[in-house]
Amino acid sequence: MALQVEVPLEAAGSTPAIRAHDLVKSFGALRAVDGVTFDLAAGRIYGILGPNGSGKTTVIRLLTGLTRPSSGWAEVLGTRMPSRSNLSRIGYMTQADGVYAALTVAENLRFFGATYGVEGDEPVAHALEVVDLADRRSSIVGTLSGGQRRRLSLACALVHRPPILFLDEPTVGVDPLLRVQFWSHFRALADAGTTIVVSSHVMDEADRCDELLFVRSGTVIARGTGQEIRAQAGTPDLEQAFVRLGSAVEATR
Amino acid sequence: MSRRRVLALFRRVVAEIRRDRPSLALLFIAPIVITGLVTFILRESQAPQVTAVVVNLAGQRGELVGTALGTALREGGATISDVADEPTAIAAIVAGTASIGIVIGTDATAGGGLTITAITNGLDPSGEASQVAAVGRAMLQAAGSASGATVPAVRHATVYGAPSDDPVTTFAPAIVGFFAYFFVYVLTGVSFLRERTGGTLERLMATPVTRGEVVAGYTLGFGLFATIQVAVLMLWTLGSLHIPALGPLPSFSIGLGVAVNGSPMLAFVVVVLLAVGAVSLGIFLSTFARTELQVIQFIPIVLAPQFLLSGVLFPVSNLPSILQPLVAIMPLNYAVDGLRQVFIRGADLGVPALQLDLVVLGIVAAFFATIAALTIRRDVV
Repeated sequence: MALQVEVPLEAAGSTPAIRAHDLVKSFGALRAVDGVTFDLAAGRIYGILGPNGSGKTTVIRLLTGLTRPSSGWAEVLGTRMPSRSNLSRIGYMTQADGVYAALTVAENLRFFGATYGVEGDEPVAHALEVVDLADRRSSIVGTLSGGQRRRLSLACALVHRPPILFLDEPTVGVDPLLRVQFWSHFRALADAGTTIVVSSHVMDEADRCDELLFVRSGTVIARGTGQEIRAQAGTPDLEQAFVRLGSAVEATR
Repeated sequence: MSRRRVLALFRRVVAEIRRDRPSLALLFIAPIVITGLVTFILRESQAPQVTAVVVNLAGQRGELVGTALGTALREGGATISDVADEPTAIAAIVAGTASIGIVIGTDATAGGGLTITAITNGLDPSGEASQVAAVGRAMLQAAGSASGATVPAVRHATVYGAPSDDPVTTFAPAIVGFFAYFFVYVLTGVSFLRERTGGTLERLMATPVTRGEVVAGYTLGFGLFATIQVAVLMLWTLGSLHIPALGPLPSFSIGLGVAVNGSPMLAFVVVVLLAVGAVSLGIFLSTFARTELQVIQFIPIVLAPQFLLSGVLFPVSNLPSILQPLVAIMPLNYAVDGLRQVFIRGADLGVPALQLDLVVLGIVAAFFATIAALTIRRDVV
């Protein structure tokens, strides 16, 4: 029987919602995550930005406890990860859609809801409303368009209304219109107190985040709002800022 | 382990299979077609048609033997013709006009004793062996009638069942066990591989679901379909529904009508235990597969040895002694034996041989469930 631990509300306010301390993850000789330390406050949207293979997904997997760190530690809502009971307070939208193609939209949501201990029709209806899929609730997922499937994937991550949401490249393969919708959902959730960590390699999404963490070769090379980072790098756009900050780091090595 | 989460997994697995029509067909129709075909072959196969050409190279003495042998063979329904020499006989076999050549000659080394050589073309060993056996039987009969003595006949009696029983009786238990194992393995393996490659396992592992719950949910879900499959297959194998003649249609019966001496429920328990082991085996092996094709490629490695070493095709007691240790570790072997104990011997739970089968199947199922749970790693990449 899984133990449901109630965390005092002030834990969300005063202490950081998510903490990483000197996180390292090695795969053989490769250090995919190489000493990452940060505190993330509740109710904000954080963007983890970096090129493919920079370690973004591994950082998220370490924070969700899907993989154990080689050294260092990660904490979510004051609980050291990996922690199974803590997983019911975390939503995770994987890079792959991760939904069952043979089931209907509602069946997928009911299933993932049940795994989080959430039952009944209300959570399903709510999640469908958030991603605007209510009219497709009885459709077999295999018949949905790519964008609709992506929306369902998001709905599955928030069916249990978690205070923490990890979104791994949520807008990949999503058309510009839907992307705008996604970001307005994220903003609404954050305003309601949800802490959101979004990974992306699309720099034009970065300005929608409250704060950015630039990741390169498994380390955080810069942190701040979009404006702060542009100012720090002395460039007009984030893409150039990333290149400049990256080469600066290379030079000091 | 949370009952709710296991139930959620179970429902999901069931919903997925229910919508997968081809898999359902595979699960139910394929075994019925194959068992029906095998039964038809076993029951209706014809006695070998012997078309013999006889060559006599032993003069007067050979003539006598040849006539007696010919008479005995003709009584058995064979066609006999005489030819002049061995090359003519071989030419007849090559041309397909004769199925066997019988050469009666003298053996100088044995003091001029008579020898009989049977020649066949060598392309169909088992079919030709039955031809040679027919010649042997006719020879025995000929010898008996020539000497005027009665040749004692060997009667065969068995402790369980009767030797003249339907050949399907011994074959049916093996085939029921094998099908349950085969289909459950393939369906679970492919379905769990989809879970791994489709990203749903990654997502599932980010929920409070435990690995044990995943194995339990899968076992219940596929176990349900395996149970229904076995029930249908047992009804088909054991049942015999007679349909009377109707108008121009002749009467016929549905079901193989195999006699079972023991409790069908007990046979059912044996197969369900086997199927539970197959679910976990499928989950476990899907760890080593990257594509659905590779799950299928495991069949020759994992299932073929079981098929060959579990008495489905070859009697276990006839297998070379070097293979016997392997036989002892084949789960299917215990299921086939258990089913035969129930079907033919009419064994109940008090029979030690059946107890051993059930215990071994239980241990195998528990063992594979454990390693399956261990291989659902949190570190799925």
